[in-house]
Amino acid sequence: MFRTVLIANRGEIACRIAATLRTMGVRSVAVCSEADRGARHTRVADDVRVLGPAEPRASYLDVEALLEAARSSGAQAVHPGYGFLAENADFAAAVEAAGLTFIGPAPEHIRAAGDKRAARAVAERVSVPVVPGAGGADVAALATAARAIQYPVMVKAALGGGGKGMRIVTGEAELAEAVESTRRLALAGFGDDAVYLEKHVEKPRHVEVQVLGDGRGEAIHLFERDCSLQRRHQKVIEECPAPAVDDELRGRLVTAAVAFARALKYRGAGTVEFLLGKGGAFWFLEMNTRLQVEHPVTEMVTGLDLVRLQLEQAVEGALPLAQSEVVRRGHAIEARIYAEDAARNFLPQAGIAARVRWPQGPFVRVDAGVESGDQVPVHYDPILAKVVAAGMTREAALARLAWALDESLVHGVVTNLPFLRAVVRAHSMTRAEVDTEWVEREFLAGFAAVAGAPAPELALAAAALFEAAGNSQASRGAGDDSRPARADAFQAAGRWRLPGL
Amino acid sequence: MRSHWRDGDRTRSVEVTRLETGHYRVRVDGAELEIAVEPLGEGRARLAVGGEHTVVEVTVVDQRRFVRLGAMDFVFERRARSRGPSAGAPGLEAPMPGVVTRVLVAVGDAVRRGQPLLAVEAMKMEHVIRAPHDGRELAEPP
Repeated sequence: MFRTVLIANRGEIACRIAATLRTMGVRSVAVCSEADRGARHTRVADDVRVLGPAEPRASYLDVEALLEAARSSGAQAVHPGYGFLAENADFAAAVEAAGLTFIGPAPEHIRAAGDKRAARAVAERVSVPVVPGAGGADVAALATAARAIQYPVMVKAALGGGGKGMRIVTGEAELAEAVESTRRLALAGFGDDAVYLEKHVEKPRHVEVQVLGDGRGEAIHLFERDCSLQRRHQKVIEECPAPAVDDELRGRLVTAAVAFARALKYRGAGTVEFLLGKGGAFWFLEMNTRLQVEHPVTEMVTGLDLVRLQLEQAVEGALPLAQSEVVRRGHAIEARIYAEDAARNFLPQAGIAARVRWPQGPFVRVDAGVESGDQVPVHYDPILAKVVAAGMTREAALARLAWALDESLVHGVVTNLPFLRAVVRAHSMTRAEVDTEWVEREFLAGFAAVAGAPAPELALAAAALFEAAGNSQASRGAGDDSRPARADAFQAAGRWRLPGL
Repeated sequence: MRSHWRDGDRTRSVEVTRLETGHYRVRVDGAELEIAVEPLGEGRARLAVGGEHTVVEVTVVDQRRFVRLGAMDFVFERRARSRGPSAGAPGLEAPMPGVVTRVLVAVGDAVRRGQPLLAVEAMKMEHVIRAPHDGRELAEPP
C-alpha cells in the first residue's frame, strides 16, 4: 500500500478521502489555496501544501503546483476527488509522468469517456442506446444539428459533468448565446471550451451505475443510484437502490454499464449515467471517470468503502473483489448541503460559517467540509456537506434523512437546508415520483411562496430579545468599564454569549 | 427598545419591553407577545409564550441574526432605522459575492428596466444583473 497520498482537492471530498486514508494507515497530504489556509480539509490531513492564490487556475487547477506539492511531501500517489482536475487527462498523464500513481483511470480512459462524442461512439459499439446529439465548435453546424434532432436540446460543456455548464435551449434564437456562454464557462471550469448538444428527453429519471474496472477488460458493478431530484441539472438528492428500477431493469442497466466499462478497458471507479424514460427505456448519457459526490449511498447499501477499493485497485492492479461479493441491503438517501439561498433564486453564498452542527444518530452519515468558524470562500463549488441516511426500507431511510436535515444547523452562511427539508417531505418524494425536471416544474413555485412569506413573529422576537437581553445588562454596566458595550453586553448576559464574539 | 430588521424583501420592526427579569413584552408589526426567556447557553434560549415552549438559537454575524426556531431557520438583518421604499441612493447591490466577468453597459448609457448590466461569476455559475428600472449608467462598478 502507498505510504503517502496527496489529495488534489478541497472541501468535503478532501475530508472524506482523508478519513479513509487514516483508517488504512496511509499518510494524507492536503493541498489548499491561500483562501483555504486552515480549512477543515487541511486540518484533517497529516500534512498540507499551499498551492497558490484563491483562483482555481492558480491553485487547485495548477498542475505544476500540485506535482511540486506531491514531490515535496513525499507522496507516491494522487487522489483527485471530484471536480477540478479529476477528469483532466493531461493531469493524470502528468502525475504518471512524474512517477506517481494517479488514483483513477488511465489518461486515455478519461479522454475516451470524458469526451461525450467519443463516449457515445463506444456506447453505440457495445449496443447501448444513446440520446441523439452532435458536437462541434461551429454554431451554424450546431444549429443544423439541433434542427435535425428537434428542440428542445441541451447544450453542455464537452468535458463537463455534475450539471455544471449545461443549458436547455428551446429554440434557435437562444442557441448562439447558450453556446457562447457554455463555452466560456467550460473554458473557465474545465480548461477546454468544446461544447456538445443533445436531444432533451422530457420527464426522464437519472439513473447511474457504479462500476469498478481493472484496466485490462474486466469490470464489475456496485448497483445503481437514482439521482433524479435535480435543480437546474444539478443533483440535490440521490439514493440507492433506484425506486423506479425493478430487478429485470436493474439487470439490463448494470449489464449495459459493465459492457461499456469493459469496452474501454476501464480502470478504477467510474459511473455510467443513463436517462431512464417511461416503460423501462434508457439511454446512455455519459461516463464520469471519478468518484461521484453521491458515492456514499452506494457505500451505505453495499458496506463497501469506495475510496478504499480505489486504492486497493490502484496498488494491486486486479479488482479487489468479485461481482458475487457485492451485495446490497436496505436503502440509503443523500442530500447535498449547498451554501446557496433557496429563497433568493439559489444565489451562492459565502462568508463565515459561524456555527455549524451536524446530526448524529443511528444510520446517519455526514461528510462535511466545514465546522463552526470556517470560511466559505466565493471561489469554489458551494457544497458544504453531504448528509446521508440509511434504513431497511426507502421509507425508513427517508424519515431518517428528514430528521437529520432538521438536526443540521449552519448559521453564518445561508444554506439550502430549508429547501432540502421541504423537498424530502414533498408527496412526490415520499412516493418516489420525481423526474429530473420535477423541482422546477412542480415544486419551486410553492416553495418560493413559503420561503418568501414573512417569518413567524416569534423568530423576530427571538432576534430582538437576544439584543435586548444583552443591551439591558450593558446599560446597567456602562460607565463602570471601558470595554466595548456590545462585547460587555453579551458577557454580562452570560449564557447568551456566542463563539466569535 | 425598538429595532428594525430586514426579513426577506420587507423591513419589520420589533419593540421589546422588559417587564421583569426574564419576562418581556414584544410587539412585532403590531402583534403583541408576552414571552418568558430562559437562557440555555451559547445563544440558545427557551421561550415560553402562553403555554407553549420553543427552543430558539441565535447566532450573530455582523448585522445578521441567524435564528433557529424549532427545525426552521431564519435570517434577519439589523437595520439602523426604518427605511421607506427603496428610493434611497442610486446604485445596485450585488446579490452575492462574486467576480465581475463582464460589464455590458458604459458610463452615460441609457438603460431600460430589465436590461443586462453586469455578469457576475460565483462558484462556477454566471449571474446576469439587470437594471431594476429605466435610467442612466452613472458610474462603473468599483
